[in-house]
Amino acid sequence: MTLAAFAYQRPRSLAEAVEAMAEAPDARWLSGGMSLLPMMKLELAAPPALLDLSGVEDLRGIRDEGDFLHIGAMTRHVELARDPAVRRDAHLASLAAERIGDPQVRNRGTVGGSLAHADPAADLPAALLALDAEVEAVSARGRRALSVQDLLLGPMMTALEPDELIVAIRIPKHTGHRQAYTKVPHPASGYAVVGVAVAIHEEGGRVRQAAIAVTGVALKAFRAARAEAVLAGQAVDQEVLAEAAGLVCDGQDVLGDVYASAAYRRQLAQVVTRRTLEGLR
Amino acid sequence: MASANPSDRSEAAFTYIGKSRHREDGPAKLVGAGGYVADLDPAGSWYAHLVLSPHPHARIRGVDTRAAAAVAGVKAVYLGDALPEADLLAESEVFYAGEPVAVVVADDPAVAEDAAELVEVDYDVLPAVVDAEAAMRPDAPLVRQLEDTAGRADAGAHGDAAGGSAKTEERPNNVSAVVKYRRGDAEAARAEADVSVTRRYHLPPLYQGFLETHGSSAHAERTGETTIWTTTQGQFMVRNAVKRLLKLPDYRVRVVGATVGGGFGGKGVLLEPLVATLSQRLGRPVAMLLDRQQDILVNNPGPAADIEVTLSARSDGTLVAIEARLVFDNGAERGGSAGIACLMLAGTYRCPNLDVLGYDVMTHKVPIGAYRAPGAPQGYFALESAMDELAGTLHMDPLQLRLKNAVQEGDDRPDGRTWPRIGLLECLRAAAAHPFFEEPLGPNEGIGVAAGGWGGGLEPAAAACQVTSEGRLVVQVGSIDITGTNTTFALIAAEELGLSPDEVHVQFADTAHAPYAGMAGGSKTTYTVGLAVAEAAKAVRKQVLEIAAERLEAAVEDLDMADGAVHVKGVPGRSVTLAEIARDTARFGGRTAPLIAEGRSAVTKSAPGFAVHAARVAVDPDTGEVRVTGYLAVQDVGRALNPKEVEGQILGGVAQGIGRALYEDLAYDSTGQPVSTSFLDYQMPTFHDVPRVDIVLVEVPAEQGPYGAKGVGEPPAIPGAAAVANAVAAATGRRVATLPITPERVLAAQ
Ligand SMILES: Cc1cc2nc3c(=O)[nH]c(=O)nc-3n(C[C@H](O)[C@H](O)[C@H](O)COP(=O)(O)OP(=O)(O)OC[C@H]3O[C@@H](n4cnc5c(N)ncnc54)[C@H](O)[C@@H]3O)c2cc1C
Repeated sequence: MTLAAFAYQRPRSLAEAVEAMAEAPDARWLSGGMSLLPMMKLELAAPPALLDLSGVEDLRGIRDEGDFLHIGAMTRHVELARDPAVRRDAHLASLAAERIGDPQVRNRGTVGGSLAHADPAADLPAALLALDAEVEAVSARGRRALSVQDLLLGPMMTALEPDELIVAIRIPKHTGHRQAYTKVPHPASGYAVVGVAVAIHEEGGRVRQAAIAVTGVALKAFRAARAEAVLAGQAVDQEVLAEAAGLVCDGQDVLGDVYASAAYRRQLAQVVTRRTLEGLR
Repeated sequence: MASANPSDRSEAAFTYIGKSRHREDGPAKLVGAGGYVADLDPAGSWYAHLVLSPHPHARIRGVDTRAAAAVAGVKAVYLGDALPEADLLAESEVFYAGEPVAVVVADDPAVAEDAAELVEVDYDVLPAVVDAEAAMRPDAPLVRQLEDTAGRADAGAHGDAAGGSAKTEERPNNVSAVVKYRRGDAEAARAEADVSVTRRYHLPPLYQGFLETHGSSAHAERTGETTIWTTTQGQFMVRNAVKRLLKLPDYRVRVVGATVGGGFGGKGVLLEPLVATLSQRLGRPVAMLLDRQQDILVNNPGPAADIEVTLSARSDGTLVAIEARLVFDNGAERGGSAGIACLMLAGTYRCPNLDVLGYDVMTHKVPIGAYRAPGAPQGYFALESAMDELAGTLHMDPLQLRLKNAVQEGDDRPDGRTWPRIGLLECLRAAAAHPFFEEPLGPNEGIGVAAGGWGGGLEPAAAACQVTSEGRLVVQVGSIDITGTNTTFALIAAEELGLSPDEVHVQFADTAHAPYAGMAGGSKTTYTVGLAVAEAAKAVRKQVLEIAAERLEAAVEDLDMADGAVHVKGVPGRSVTLAEIARDTARFGGRTAPLIAEGRSAVTKSAPGFAVHAARVAVDPDTGEVRVTGYLAVQDVGRALNPKEVEGQILGGVAQGIGRALYEDLAYDSTGQPVSTSFLDYQMPTFHDVPRVDIVLVEVPAEQGPYGAKGVGEPPAIPGAAAVANAVAAATGRRVATLPITPERVLAAQ
């Protein structure tokens, strides 16, 4: 439970951060420390050096970029939950952020850290997946964009290179879409046993676009494509919702653990999806 | 004249007893000035860290300590065979995952922890016996030789555990004790009964979940004088264990009980012999503090139990037979919870025919210890779930069924004794009269009731009282205050002396200085030490009155004490204050002998305490989630000396009952690996999970307890699981017989 010794640096700019990483390739980025420090305490990680991103101004702030919201990677969960622009244009992200951990965790934890950590039961990945968000990553080799879909590879696994850092998330505006996030927290850890993020765009009484993303159920957050397809183009009624909800885990290898077996989790995901969809009507 | 005997006084006659008072230790705890063992850092201390076995069962082929020993700052690495007196490290074979196999001592705790990782143990992995039922089969391998087990933190220290009859020759494999209660012919009675219900219940092992993990430090002088600072519920118990293991005369071992950050039965003797041994070997103070994961692995949890019960009754609800088979999984040591469980299961209701059989079984898991009312929550979960099912079968109100069959004074207990005056009926009646049952239920809500009882422990105890030069009273005790007992002692002394409790200071002293007191466990501290305090205060009062009689030129019989002064009855103004008398006891040339006295108690009759709980729950029919929406706790406390504190005990017990019912599970996988070794997996109840609790205190005085008080610590932790399970059954029509009642189990139940 005692941390192993490590070097610590707090770069003052993005350039400095990238340079520091090039000089200490085994170093890890430190954002809120809400996942990394517990892992170090449990000796699941023992990085020789930490590069603290809290001093990098470029990683902060939420900006309106026309069709997109630009959200700095160091944006804390609490800011995401409260920011008026996010609440208006990407409400789902706020709703998910509100359900993360406890106030201390929300005050420290960051969007970038949550995505990079890629916990299969984390809340934000589901919301950002449903919102078709995109991640901007930077390394000494330059800048690239990748979708959250492509970013998440598996439990604690992402497509980021070890020296790469997330600088921002870009979320296409979902102003006026119906959005909801429902989470059944594990009673001990507070992480999602099932978390369902939904964004529905309706026009003239019919669903134009439905996005359903699920966390806690499989090795990574996923989009429930079959369920979405059932909804698309429909005038939504009870029956359609139930059909969609029934398909939410379709094609997924559902996780089972001491608390909830795979069969129960699948059923829970269906119930939660149905209720979330019903709640949006 | 003040008296601790209840029959002498009516409630109106009390000045301080029965009036709620804030806990004396509250403010220090609130500001973090607690004096916990982790806050004590003896100068020049070294730090020890354990190396734990990852295997549930293995032979130790060899251990390479060279890499660990070579780390800068490491002072010593010991294996079990080098420290037999420590009574904690495995020697040649490990019997549970998490069993300590080596200890590293360094000048820095982090260095010790890191070096412990470098100790290389070569294990020859052996097959593990994980399931208690399987362990009893004739072909099951022996977990270990029974003679090699001493039984760690003895659950028997807590209760009035009657053994029943134990016949060694009938012991199945790996069984350390058999308990049997037979009366009449249960099988024949069942055959003739109008109804019977049978079900098998399962309870998992539970971690006590105290905030403060185990920690101890020791300093052995070269003379052999050994001082131990530790978090324990019983400092004399620690002393006795250490002096025995280290072969020292008892006065050479001084144990200083630190503030305890939660015990619940789990803080007995654990690390103390080890740190004492290490300090003796190394000539330095040695400290050790377990981290949470180690604490969960090494600490002695409450046992798992498998209980099959059959209740048979006549159609009017009269019980005619109780049959039960109880299997307690004690881990890799002998244990003793089955006795209490069998006794309460067979003894709570009048029943002419009994066939109750209990086994304490060994498996390759961490040895169990005591957890608040050891054995009773298990026994009552089965009994009270079965009673509920019986009530349902009979279409009878569950409280009425219990009222019809409940034992009362003079009824036979299954162990051949008879019940003394108990308050089970009174609790059931108080519950039945409570408006709790009249509040309308929401959709998917249900109410369940359950009773529970605890025999109550006994142990001789002593206390001392001394008046300071300012006329205040210092009460000295050696009992550990885990539940607010010191505050109650202040009330008792204040009552006896006619002195405001503000003028009474209860001082805890270590084993070298304090009068004897047993472990704070078994609901016996107020019951036994409280009497000693009353005796001591009474003796001081006598001294004061004799001096005052001289000063006031009046007969002792004509004097009375109130508000810190002695008055001549009926003569206002003729008085002398305690401070005036005391001043003369502590000054040069004074003529008054110091006011000081000891009180002793050896209570001979235990005072069983019963409780009746009712839980209201709401169940989500689609997800199976259970929320407790209301709770009623009725308890016979004999007399509530400090009602607020008694209610605090009940509230805590209710929370633990809800935890046991819905969340807690110290789970093992099928290979014997513990899988909930952190609070990320082990679910404790939180404030969110505990509703408002309506508390009703019933006062059926104990014959011998101070002012009629009974132990109140254990009973409220007993009925909760069954009350919640019965409420779930009422809400859903489904009975969950395996704890915890997870949402998944609710959906799967029939
Ligand atoms: C008690 C508790 C409860 C929690 N409950 C929940 C919950 O209910 N739901 C939930 O979703 N989460 C929960 N969390 C996790 C929390 O959301 C974390 O904040 C989040 O997972 C990680 O964010 P962070 O900023 O703290 O990252 P850190 O811990 O600093 O870093 C996590 C990982 O990401 C890497 N990293 C950090 N920033 C970047 C970056 N910008 N670019 C690339 N890599 C980076 C780090 O090197 C590290 O590997 C909980 C945490 C705690 C301690």
